[in-house]
Amino acid sequence: MPLLEITGLTQRFGGLQAISNFSFQLEDHELVGLIGPNGAGKTTVFNIVSGFYKPTEGDIVFGGDRINGLKPYQVTAMGIARTFQNIRLWNDLTVLDNIRLARYSWLNYGFWSAVLRLNRYRQAEKAVETKARDVLEMVELSEYAEELPKNLPYGLQRRVELARALAVNPKLLLLDEPAAGLNSTDVDGLVRHIRWIYDECKISIWMIEHQMKVVMSLCQRLVVMNFGCSIAWGTPEEIRENPDVIKAYLGDETL
Amino acid sequence: MQRYAINILFGTAAIVLVALAQAGILDKYVLTVITFMGINCIFAVSLNLVNGHMGEFSCGHGGFMCVGAYVGSLLSVAFFTNSKLFGPALFAPELAHFLFPLVLVGASFAAALFGLIVALPSFHTRDDYLAIITIAANYIIISIVENIDAIGGPRGFSGMKRVVNSMSDAADLPWMLIWTIIGLFVCVMALYRLMTSTYGKGISAVCQNEVAAEIMGVNTNRVKIMAFMVSSGLAGLAGALYAHVYGYVNAQSFNILKSTEGLVMVYLGGMGSISGVLLAAIAFTLLIEGLRFIIPWLNDVLHAANLLPASYELSQVWKWVIIPLILILLMQFRPEGFLGNRELTHVFPRLKRWITFR
Repeated sequence: MPLLEITGLTQRFGGLQAISNFSFQLEDHELVGLIGPNGAGKTTVFNIVSGFYKPTEGDIVFGGDRINGLKPYQVTAMGIARTFQNIRLWNDLTVLDNIRLARYSWLNYGFWSAVLRLNRYRQAEKAVETKARDVLEMVELSEYAEELPKNLPYGLQRRVELARALAVNPKLLLLDEPAAGLNSTDVDGLVRHIRWIYDECKISIWMIEHQMKVVMSLCQRLVVMNFGCSIAWGTPEEIRENPDVIKAYLGDETL
Repeated sequence: MQRYAINILFGTAAIVLVALAQAGILDKYVLTVITFMGINCIFAVSLNLVNGHMGEFSCGHGGFMCVGAYVGSLLSVAFFTNSKLFGPALFAPELAHFLFPLVLVGASFAAALFGLIVALPSFHTRDDYLAIITIAANYIIISIVENIDAIGGPRGFSGMKRVVNSMSDAADLPWMLIWTIIGLFVCVMALYRLMTSTYGKGISAVCQNEVAAEIMGVNTNRVKIMAFMVSSGLAGLAGALYAHVYGYVNAQSFNILKSTEGLVMVYLGGMGSISGVLLAAIAFTLLIEGLRFIIPWLNDVLHAANLLPASYELSQVWKWVIIPLILILLMQFRPEGFLGNRELTHVFPRLKRWITFR
């Protein structure tokens, strides 16, 4: 059984059809890329999977459960984490707090426990703290734990976002252009981290990426989107030779 | 032990204050000003939770204070006095000083419930639009209260003096000062602990990036309900104390002007900084009271220097020119307030060794 199965996904915003009849399957422990020209609907697919939009038609099944229509925080609790194309960190909270907050769904205490500092609060906070420190260790960010993200260089901010996504113990990680805006050293570091996460955590990763260097060196399989439909899928080598894909990116020469 | 130094200092200060009041060294006026300082502190830090930490602009906070003031007054009159409205007292008036916390808790819960008027629309509305809803909530609450004739309508409601008196009869202590100090302590403690817990930081997360908060598993609607209810509940606590210090409540004392006072204190102190807002609330109360003396003095000085025509006297109305002027200057030259969004312990890291709220 695939981990994520999308069938006949269609999304309309008023008169605009952003996604039409998009289907996709992702197996357990697989690293798949989603590519396509600007405006193809890649981020919209991610937004639907992570619960931001309720799809007009179609089904999304994750680990055997239908998840379309769930709220984003419910989807996260089921094990889908994501990062954003434009970094969305909480800039006035420390890096450590940013990671801690990713454990929000698992906090089993409420207002009164927090204010009265009940045992339940202390235990939960201890667990959150341990988890957050572990994740920071994993992506080599421990030394920045007390910094504010806004004071960190762009490459590190990306890594904090990656760490925050990992802190929810995801089964599936959605990365929306993780290499956007990075210089080539940072890109090499990112590729290393993603590969390490993929190998060590045994999770599935689905990433949108434009930089061919990243896609070609990481992804086992690629899906290509254009105008809201999937136009091709296959290994990176097959995709590179696919005439439909070349047409989508470079335009139709016969025009 | 060292970590508790400042806590012990504050505790001692509170006890000394109560002792001075008890010994009659502080006169009634000074005592009232100090009590109002405490009430303003509660009012301002509670508003700070929404305006500072959550980043929404609530300008109807006076409304929740109004709910607290009226519910507190009604409860204490019903509990401890024989009144036309409620009939004979529910408890013996001699118990007033033991059972008064019930009144405060009841008032806070009632105000917290009214906080839902703003919390529920905040799911889909934000910023300026939500600010308008909060103003509307302020007006709704005042109109409701003004139109219930049984509790005095526009004439206001009184009878709380008798409760305060029966507390003093049972044990001769400056009770309202004591309750205000306890209330302020509970309020600051609760807010500080809330905002240092991961659960409470959800409020900051909603403020700083709501999309990220939602996607990372924060139930944003629940966070908003919590923040608005806690904030308005504590405003209700301030209201109940206010009503008992004055001995009389009138809905119009909690109109938009009261809410604005709260905003001034929050912006003066620095949004999202509990210690900054406390400092600002103290400074603001002192300023308002100080102008009572400064304006006549200024009047004399200006007359002596022949800068004012003899026929014109500088009156207290000028207070409402001077205070807004201070606001304008503040917004021009230090828009982030006393402390920005940092706490005193961030500005002076050495303080950390001396203080703890854990």
